[in-house]
Amino acid sequence: MTKGKIVGLEGSFAVAEAVRMANTDVIAAYPITPQTHIVERLSEMVADGDLDANFICVESEHSAMSACVGASAAGARVFTCSAGQGLELMHEVLYIPSSMRLPVVAVAANRALSAPLSVWCDHSDVMALRDISWIQMFAENNQQAFDLTTCAYRIAEDKEVLFPTMVHIDGFYLSHVIEDMVLPEEEVVAGFIPDYEHPFVLDPDKPVSMGCYGPPFIYPETKKAQDVAFDNTRPKIQAIWDEFGEIFGRHYVPVESYKMDGARIALLTMGSCSETAMLAVDELREAGVDVGLIRLRLWRPFPFTELREAVKDLDLLVVLDRAISFGMGGPVCSELKSALYNKREDLKIVGFIGGLGGRDIPISDFKYMVTQAQEKVKAIERGEEVETEIIGVREGGGR
Amino acid sequence: MHRLRFHGRGGQGARVASKVLGTAAFLDGYYAQDFPLYGAERRGAPVAASTRISEEPIMERGVIPAPDIVIVMDETLLQDPLTNPVSGLKQGGIVLINTAHSPTEAKAEYKITAQVITLDITKIGLDMLGMPILSTLAGGVAARIVGLSEDSLTDAVKKVLSEITTDRRLLAKNVAAALYCFNAITPIETKIEIEIETSDTIEKKSSKVISLPFEPAEVSSPAINATGNTPLRMTGNWRVFRPAWNYDSCTRCMICVARCPDGCILVNEDGFPYTDYDNCKGCLICVEECPTNSLGKVREVHAKKVIGK
Repeated sequence: MTKGKIVGLEGSFAVAEAVRMANTDVIAAYPITPQTHIVERLSEMVADGDLDANFICVESEHSAMSACVGASAAGARVFTCSAGQGLELMHEVLYIPSSMRLPVVAVAANRALSAPLSVWCDHSDVMALRDISWIQMFAENNQQAFDLTTCAYRIAEDKEVLFPTMVHIDGFYLSHVIEDMVLPEEEVVAGFIPDYEHPFVLDPDKPVSMGCYGPPFIYPETKKAQDVAFDNTRPKIQAIWDEFGEIFGRHYVPVESYKMDGARIALLTMGSCSETAMLAVDELREAGVDVGLIRLRLWRPFPFTELREAVKDLDLLVVLDRAISFGMGGPVCSELKSALYNKREDLKIVGFIGGLGGRDIPISDFKYMVTQAQEKVKAIERGEEVETEIIGVREGGGR
Repeated sequence: MHRLRFHGRGGQGARVASKVLGTAAFLDGYYAQDFPLYGAERRGAPVAASTRISEEPIMERGVIPAPDIVIVMDETLLQDPLTNPVSGLKQGGIVLINTAHSPTEAKAEYKITAQVITLDITKIGLDMLGMPILSTLAGGVAARIVGLSEDSLTDAVKKVLSEITTDRRLLAKNVAAALYCFNAITPIETKIEIEIETSDTIEKKSSKVISLPFEPAEVSSPAINATGNTPLRMTGNWRVFRPAWNYDSCTRCMICVARCPDGCILVNEDGFPYTDYDNCKGCLICVEECPTNSLGKVREVHAKKVIGK
């Protein structure tokens, strides 16, 4: 197992290091807060000759992803990153590399969506990307930002996968935080990510058509093929994470758990707030509450089996969403209910929404959720309608 | 764990100060986490940064709501209700204020009950660096308060600045200024009795946020329907320097009026330009542009006193 060097590194720089060590060929990105430092650092690396890549300065995120699609089709190893409104402008093109099975690697520094304008973190941008058929995973600290970006190249480019892969890091909470992490040796990372060879590269000598017209007689077949292939990526993702774990000593699974032994209640989180949630679980455990924490690492493809396994002994699952699906409640909560329906009818699921637009979620909020959820279960059992509560919000009225 | 919060204005170096402190702590063998938070990316806008230093791995994230130590890099922020730099400061905590006031004066002026250390960091910056950028200097005082070593501070300043500049003389000046500030203060101990705020009763605490008026959820929209308050936000307290007029040589050419980026130079009944000190941010472009050198600069010491007339 390799040890590497302990460094204090900003989350954005950790991502840039991973991109550099992966020997990326083409970077096309447009700066937007809170992702800017990633792009800045990468352009600096290219300018200084530390990374032999083509840095394409584009005029928008739509163009960034378009350039990535072209470069990836030509067989290059490609990286881009964006956030919030940038991801929304990129949205149209995000479906293209996944449908064309192009292994673009991206990092999203999660940010809220306008209006009102907010550059701060929440998961509204993530939730708008649920159906783009990209493999998507969440980092909880800068170490994971580096590790998962490194793994993203291997996953995306695996011949049994060939889907673009996106790593989510929470804007500001990770992108701008400097903290201790282990930076592995370059040769070891290079050994982990071999040179990439696309199996059906654009080549005039062996012509192929990509992304061409799909009339009704063929379109559904292509979409079914895409869906089946996407579903089949799960074991490969785990295999690559396992291989990473063996070399680097840090192990990742699609559904992570914390203090779940004997837990009857669990909090469920995604992203950087998970570590704060752990502190809340510690305090609640000390107070005698049988509570644990489940964190979704893999967001797409959704880890059904691992999730069902994680909740099998639970009475109550308390879900935190950092986004609103307007008119529907919390999007993660809805998906969990759908994933567990017909499997665990006795399990109560209570959703909360919090941390919108960079509002902090303190330990006390997590403890409040656990206590309040138990009250809500009583209300559910009395047959009352229980609405998704948005926590930490002041009640309006009076100007 | 030490929990520090830096408050400054965009361009002053609060972010870099926190980074210098975090890096120095890291070099001294601690776990360190540095988290800046800013909104509008423009000069003069309030910026905050949180630094956590611990012997154990750090799990908590985000803004520090209840710091042990607050570093106020711009004393005018103490009068800004939207920023309120000392909010949440623990009983027995420390505030370091960049001011020409003595601690006793500052405590009375800003009604602070916590322990106060004062240092005119702006003056040190102007004397030693020739500019009011205070990042490494504020990092230096913070490093002293939390008890880090001079060697680690020196290395941290070099490391952090070498990412920003290649000017070796500027780097050396910053090292000297940071060490000067490190040794200029007499550190005091925090007298905090409870390490982490924990309560046995699980209660909901409403987050402390700025009080913008807003309507009940049933009628509101994504628009914040507060009346336009930009004219009320006088930006004159951002100044480090104030443009000062010498009308003897002024030819009323109006170049200053055209060049002022904030429209803060008005014209009086006699046709002479004058500064709207309520809103002038002290960029000194007018001083630079005046062809007859009729404009000079005077340092603002206690900005509050010069606002208005």
